[in-house]
Amino acid sequence: MIALGLEGSANKLGVGLIRHTPGKPAEILSNIRHTFVSPPGEGFLPKDTAKHHRSWVVTLVKRSLKESAVKVKDIDCICYTKGPGMGAPLQSVAIAARTLGLLWGKPLVGVNHCVGHIEMGREITGANNPVVLYVSGGNTQVIAYAEQRYRIFGEALDIAVGNCLDRFARTLNISNDPAPGYNIEQMAKKGKNLVELPYAVKGMDCSFSGILAVVDMMAAQLLSGKPKPLLTPEGEPVTREDLCFSLQETVFAMLVEITERAMAHVGSEQVLIVGGVGCNERLQEMMGLMARDRGGSVYATDERFCIDNGIMIAHAGLLAYKTGFVTPLEESTCTQRFRTDEVLVKWRD
Amino acid sequence: MATAAITASPADPQYPHSLTISLPLPSHHLADTIQRALSVDREISPFVQRTYTTLPDSPILQIHYKATTARMLRVATNGMFESLGTVLRVCEELDVDVLEKELGE
Repeated sequence: MIALGLEGSANKLGVGLIRHTPGKPAEILSNIRHTFVSPPGEGFLPKDTAKHHRSWVVTLVKRSLKESAVKVKDIDCICYTKGPGMGAPLQSVAIAARTLGLLWGKPLVGVNHCVGHIEMGREITGANNPVVLYVSGGNTQVIAYAEQRYRIFGEALDIAVGNCLDRFARTLNISNDPAPGYNIEQMAKKGKNLVELPYAVKGMDCSFSGILAVVDMMAAQLLSGKPKPLLTPEGEPVTREDLCFSLQETVFAMLVEITERAMAHVGSEQVLIVGGVGCNERLQEMMGLMARDRGGSVYATDERFCIDNGIMIAHAGLLAYKTGFVTPLEESTCTQRFRTDEVLVKWRD
Repeated sequence: MATAAITASPADPQYPHSLTISLPLPSHHLADTIQRALSVDREISPFVQRTYTTLPDSPILQIHYKATTARMLRVATNGMFESLGTVLRVCEELDVDVLEKELGE
């Protein structure tokens, strides 16, 4: 069976075509993406992002069909991101999905974005039943599977870890191309001084907005030299690279802690990291150190699947469709709030 | 290529600001498809009402708006034009017969 997947909950527009054959691994027929990159110092606003998605969706769908040589008659269903995410961008993609469904006479499958990440991560890495750390610009959740639902064990209480990093990139006017988080990672590699930042783990959850406030204040002090230059306790000037490094070390340590807590609670040895922030090699390294200490292992995917994409929507959608799940046209809306555990994972036992 | 004509509709005292978009289309099937795709999203604000009419003899889709204020009307119709752009482009470039010709389906 073949599914078309459309993703546009944030600034990445993704289109994917996937084939499921019984007894064989999923086959990726097409996975293309176009990102709306905002100028340095700016984030992406819903209106502009939706406009970007509207301009690119037809081009990407056509290219996807052309590259994969898939015929409309061979497509079984059209999957789209129902949520969570930003309202206008979600709607701009959903309406294209609906129209395609009507023109082509295919059923629609609304997919939870988080479940898309999880299922694609499981498929690509082969991790059987891991604790999942889902970290992106919009989401930060520690998830474990139990009785047909992806249960949220811990999460960010205020802003996502990726949002914290992205907003700090704006403070430093770091380029958003290809992604602010990627550029922070490169700068952090050149950082030498670990500046002390607040550490905000609260039980199974964590909080990032306070840390952002402090690191923003430090950046302001660094950039202006007021009220006095930003120095380490030894008297060395703190650089922008040091701040990037310190921020990453702090927030990643927090993520490792809450992931470890979930692993201990659930009795799992596998960690699967999904979501855009999951591309970060330092996070993967820190998680790996913790997992190995516990006799376990870390699974992660590359940027084709970590970063928002259409293939994960097609994959999770097709899994649901095969259990008989369909989204009727009248219900093919979008929602900004869609909890991961709201989805009944009928395709697993 | 579809064009839109905007005309003022008879006033409803509760929703005094109104506008009708008339969309001539190549077929009734397309008019129906577009209406069904657009209908799924409800108006977010209770101060705006949206209804549709399809004319029986010619394939024209009419989208009727009425709102309590001019600003609400403008915001709602701006959004509709943006959605229409997407829907029309999908119909134009990704319909089954178009793809058959272009990609040799």
